[in-house]
Amino acid sequence: MDHPIIDKLTLQTRRHFFKTSGLGLGSAALSSLLTRDAIAAGEIPPAFRKVAPKAKRAIYLFMSGAPAQHDLFDHKPEMGKWFDKDLPDSVRMGQRITTMTSGQKRFPIAPSKYAFETVDNGSDGATISELLPYTKKMVKDLCIIKSMHTEAINHDPAITYICTGNQLPGRASLGSWLSYGLGSMNDNLPSFVVLNATWSAKRDAQAIYSRLWGSGPLPSKYQGVLLRSAGDPVLFLNNPDGIDPSTRRRMLDSLNRFNAKTYDHFGDPEIQTRIAQYEMAYRMQTSVPELTDLSTEKDSTFESYGPDSKKPGTFAYCALMARRLAERGVRFTQIFHRGWDQHFNISRDLPLQCRDVDQASYALVQDLKQRGMLDDTLVIWGGEFGRTAYCQGKLTRDDYGRDHHPRCFSIWMAGGGVKPGIVHGETDDFSYNVTRDPVHIHELNATLLHLMGLDHQRLSVKHQGLDMRLTGVEPVDPVKDILL
Amino acid sequence: MLGMLKSIFLLATVTVSAAGEEIVFNRDIRPILSEKCFHCHGPDENTREAKLRLDVAEVAYAEAIVPHSLEKSEFWERVTSDDEDEIMPPPETDKALTAEELDLLKRWIEQGAEYQDHWAFIAPVRPEGGSSIDDFVDQRLEEVGVEGTERAAPHVLLRRLSLDLTGLPPTPDELADFLKDDSPEAVERQVDRLLASPRYGEHMSRFWLDAVRYGDTHGLHLDNYREFWPYRDWVVSAFNDNKPWNEFIVEQLAGDLLENPTVAQRVATGYNRAHVTTAEGGSIKEEVYVRNVADRVATFGTVMLGLTTECAACHDHKFDPISQKEYYQLFAYFNSLDADPMDGNKKDHAPVVRVAAPEHEEALATARAELQNQRERLAKAIAEYDYHEPKEAVRPEPVEVTWVDDQAPAGAKLEGSWKWVDKVEGEPVLSGSKARAQSGKDTVQHFFTGAKAPIVVAEDTVFFAHVFLGKNAPEQIMLQFHSGNWDHRAYWGGNRIDWGKDGSPSRQSMGGLPEQGQWVRLEVPASKVGLKPGDKVDGWAFTQFGGTAFWDKAGTVGSDAGYHSLRRWVRDQRARKKSTLPKPLAALIRKDPKALTESDKQQLRDHYIAEVDVTARQHLAPIRAAIAKQEQAIVSIEKNLPTTLVWKEMAKPKPAYVLERGQYDRKSEEPVVRALPAFLPPMPEGASNDRLGVARWLIADNHPLTARVAVNRFWQQFFGVGLVKTAEDFGSQGEWPSHPKLLDWLAVEFRESGWDVKHLIKLIVLSDAYHRSSVAEPDAYKRDPGNRLLARGPRFRLDAETLRDQALAVSGLLVEKLGGPGVKPPQPDGLWKAVGYESSNTVRFVADKGPDKVHRRSLYTFWKRTSPPPQMIDAPSRESCVVRRERTNTPLHALMFMNDPQYVEAARCFAERFITMDDEAIPATLIDHALLRPASDAELDLLRDSFRGHLDHYTKHPDEAKSLIAIGDRPSSSDQPERLAAWTMVASLVLNLDEFVTKN
Repeated sequence: MDHPIIDKLTLQTRRHFFKTSGLGLGSAALSSLLTRDAIAAGEIPPAFRKVAPKAKRAIYLFMSGAPAQHDLFDHKPEMGKWFDKDLPDSVRMGQRITTMTSGQKRFPIAPSKYAFETVDNGSDGATISELLPYTKKMVKDLCIIKSMHTEAINHDPAITYICTGNQLPGRASLGSWLSYGLGSMNDNLPSFVVLNATWSAKRDAQAIYSRLWGSGPLPSKYQGVLLRSAGDPVLFLNNPDGIDPSTRRRMLDSLNRFNAKTYDHFGDPEIQTRIAQYEMAYRMQTSVPELTDLSTEKDSTFESYGPDSKKPGTFAYCALMARRLAERGVRFTQIFHRGWDQHFNISRDLPLQCRDVDQASYALVQDLKQRGMLDDTLVIWGGEFGRTAYCQGKLTRDDYGRDHHPRCFSIWMAGGGVKPGIVHGETDDFSYNVTRDPVHIHELNATLLHLMGLDHQRLSVKHQGLDMRLTGVEPVDPVKDILL
Repeated sequence: MLGMLKSIFLLATVTVSAAGEEIVFNRDIRPILSEKCFHCHGPDENTREAKLRLDVAEVAYAEAIVPHSLEKSEFWERVTSDDEDEIMPPPETDKALTAEELDLLKRWIEQGAEYQDHWAFIAPVRPEGGSSIDDFVDQRLEEVGVEGTERAAPHVLLRRLSLDLTGLPPTPDELADFLKDDSPEAVERQVDRLLASPRYGEHMSRFWLDAVRYGDTHGLHLDNYREFWPYRDWVVSAFNDNKPWNEFIVEQLAGDLLENPTVAQRVATGYNRAHVTTAEGGSIKEEVYVRNVADRVATFGTVMLGLTTECAACHDHKFDPISQKEYYQLFAYFNSLDADPMDGNKKDHAPVVRVAAPEHEEALATARAELQNQRERLAKAIAEYDYHEPKEAVRPEPVEVTWVDDQAPAGAKLEGSWKWVDKVEGEPVLSGSKARAQSGKDTVQHFFTGAKAPIVVAEDTVFFAHVFLGKNAPEQIMLQFHSGNWDHRAYWGGNRIDWGKDGSPSRQSMGGLPEQGQWVRLEVPASKVGLKPGDKVDGWAFTQFGGTAFWDKAGTVGSDAGYHSLRRWVRDQRARKKSTLPKPLAALIRKDPKALTESDKQQLRDHYIAEVDVTARQHLAPIRAAIAKQEQAIVSIEKNLPTTLVWKEMAKPKPAYVLERGQYDRKSEEPVVRALPAFLPPMPEGASNDRLGVARWLIADNHPLTARVAVNRFWQQFFGVGLVKTAEDFGSQGEWPSHPKLLDWLAVEFRESGWDVKHLIKLIVLSDAYHRSSVAEPDAYKRDPGNRLLARGPRFRLDAETLRDQALAVSGLLVEKLGGPGVKPPQPDGLWKAVGYESSNTVRFVADKGPDKVHRRSLYTFWKRTSPPPQMIDAPSRESCVVRRERTNTPLHALMFMNDPQYVEAARCFAERFITMDDEAIPATLIDHALLRPASDAELDLLRDSFRGHLDHYTKHPDEAKSLIAIGDRPSSSDQPERLAAWTMVASLVLNLDEFVTKN
């Protein structure tokens, strides 16, 4: 039976309407999820890649909720004398505080209840809390920054700020900038992978948002891809019930042949890209299960990451996964570990949070080192702001809470061109104000981009009439003092 | 050959003048100066170097540029200097001029260095040299020597039209109708049919909802549910009703300021409420307020003006003539929302309006008509009441008036523990069929305020209420009366509740607790709790400390409502020092009795009959009860109506300030006054200096931007790229239009047509440019990948929403139901939980069930802004204003189209539609329905081969077949699972075809 359109078409000139042909992929290479590394492909690096990269890849261990620096990295013995005394006005200097504590009649100082130890880090020593026994063992590998600061004082704006360079939604995230600026190093995994870890403190942890790994105005292919520990590791990765790999292959073969005919007809190169993407999807169906199959890991590896590393979704599991991703050429991995928002009950929740991450963070750094990857893999550990010296809620020697504090907080970095064994920056006796070498979050991001070989000033796209960049409008510099 | 070379050159640089041609400042020079020079030599005073500005001709001529003379122009000397300290732009800015740019600048100076005002800031006029879209498009093609492709085949065209106008594909029947129509108006008829479809409005709304960042959650922190979909539905009907664009703008920007705005016009003002909001603990209100307003201004700038106004929040705009002060003057139009800036995590973050759906409207109309009817009956009964003045004097007697029994009085706002118990359940009930049970460990109460008809206290008013104390009696019971405040309390028993002052009217002891296990009447003289004659009591609280009590009938006793004689009542009223009657009646009472007119007397009589006379009131009681019932019915319907966020202006505008570096706490000394940027036309005469004025200003004939910005976005919808590619920026940094005259022609045509959107769209889709085939040589795609010359038809991948809707449509699953709350088709588990705050009400995703929910158009899919639906690839997150989507092509999309259970279900149902056909016939039918064209023999062979391979496999693995066809919400009825599974795979292939996912 003739299709009704045939009659109509015969009346019209037809160029190559139903021209048939074989699989006409021609020279169109199967492209990867992203553009393959431009330098490797022999292309001239764009202007923003004039910096010699120190790190090929990065792993960001994001402690969402803001870890209390007084109880972890920023030892303040002087505060011991101030128990339950009010924060001196000379320290607060009228700075704004959140409306959660601005109604408090008093701002009583809460000294840390935890013991600290100063250990040799190869330079001036580092003082670390008993809550982080493993971290203490690796201070020779770490660059600890105690002088981080930001302007935002609430979680949503603050985490959006540090992850995307702006407190308001709508900008591109750090990882998407790296993907955009550097392209991919592998053919069958995304360039930017995000893992959301489980946590042990109270369940009602601060929310996170897909904008934290979104691409804002950059094309959406640069956004972070979630690697999930339950269900499909990558959304829609697995064939549904009733479709086995052979069926999928058969379907794809026919699909590609059909699409090749479509290309012959229309001549639109986008069709070749589509064929390539379907092939890549098929390869991911193999490469992702290979990635997430931990059966090849040695017992000693699990031991070093801790018993949680066998439990999908835990921070330890995610940390181990981050190393596997790094090995497979994933440019940027970001693990979000929530639950660090200790307004109350530090003595119950903070140790739980530390136990989640301490051993595994240590193991990750050591694992990378043993494999010779630490030199060109940058590891970052930290949250979105700090916490207050004064107590929120009820204060006892043994238990207390801390409110949000943007004026200073502590993070650490390791590997990837960062000086190991140093402590950068200093704060006052209450870890309230930075007294030496302040590092703004824009400067941190500028440093990360610099280490990855990107000029953060030049890495910009035109958006809404502006040269939009991760590090804001005002010029900032990478932190030279911590670079190797 | 020359023509071809020329065309290649022009294609490579679509916007730049060829050698020898006359330089056009706006096209050739402004982009260079803007990008490379304005940062330091432009509009921003604070960063201006050496007092030189190159954006203003006079300054440039005075300082640096001498027309016609390169030698005398210091500008030229500096940009061509060899000296590192001299050369401009300075090397460290990384903005070195290219050879081509220098050539253009050189020729520009030589030709006289003529400046032009920025094109987009000059009001468009109907250009010479053309009177249709094709006139202008063809001129451009001729200039560059490129030929347009031929007309697309009819099936391609109909599919393109259908997808572009309704977001859904045509059916083969619709194609057949089209093919049968040989008249010259055949295409137009199809266009008219599509424009008349309700699916048109749904499709068009999508783009607007992206721009105004519509979402079903607040977007920040808890990201709780926000009930806002009536605004979305307003947008849909605005497009369907072809609401003129000027009205569309006015109602959204300022519907609340129109005279007697309708509910729909108020719903439209949700436009200014669509931004993300927060209620994060610890937030500083003023900071949140500033962010909310800034977001409104940014969206206004982008959507209405095509300008990046937000750049001026921290400093003068670097490229466009908007000063920081002007930014905050604009801000001042949008800052006076009468609301808490924090959303309270509530779905109905006030101000809101309730919106009636058609079924509600019907029920309400019936109830209101019935109410009206009863009221008329009451009026009639009062008028006709047969009243005779008694022959003997009768003293008034105290009468009981019930206020609370089986329901609270009309208008009462109930709070606390209203737990109704029923007689039939064996609970103690004194009067009617219900009582209220109340128990607690300490203070517990149920109460109301806001009764529509308050009790007016008279000399001898006594309040009464009934209580039944359970075995576990409370330690104390208390009655509280609300008259402006709650300081009118009476209690029995212990003194545990410490409100007010004991021994005063604010806490008066009435004695010990009443007996347990029986109904007891409590009485409180109004004077005892400090209520004077004339005071109005509109609320009552029934309070107890611990234990269990039942509460029933409560009201007042007083002789005010106990008269038998009108004359006596009038006399008593006259004798009072202060009347408690409504004002007009009080005036009549004071009037000299001889001066009373007949009508005055009638008024007094009617009031007496209606409110005072004992016998008459008993006579009227049944009608009164019917009225109360009707009022209650209306309240209960209204209480369940959906709400939507709207704008309500503060009575007095909030002052706005210049904020240093945009920071909320760094206000200028003096507030700024509302004003529009000076470089744009002034406010039209007679317009009010508020949002309504701003709206009228936008739609005035002399406005250079409004129409251009709108037509450009519509154009972008159809051709993939706007005539101005930077649809969000028509300022100095925006791109020069590919067809400037066409843009102006369309803008003027649009405005002069009465802002007729369907007219504009018809012009576009009936143009030859739109009808062109997208079949072209690969070279053509390489030379002009964005199709900026419009030499071929648009060809690009469909948007995510259209892809899903198309799959649902061809598979016969689509449920075409207009409007309503967002729906939740299935998505993979855990996506919301992975990001959400545990106590958020959107932390757990539960998929809806039933075709009415899961197979609706994607427009209706519930949009959680911190974790948008995973099917919405390349869609903005709706957290901020976006007027242009990127299109990407990644393996993740391929995985979704192949594996998302909804796509698998669609494939199976697509196959199942034709499963009764012969296997031989199915492939052609699938292709016909999906692509609207016959399959070639080679294609048919390919599909048949594929089917045989799959069938072979599934015959060997029948369990797999059963699993596959069981996926989805709609069950399969097939008794041949293997065969259906095999066809499902073929159908899935078809749904994944490039030709299917693309608008060809």
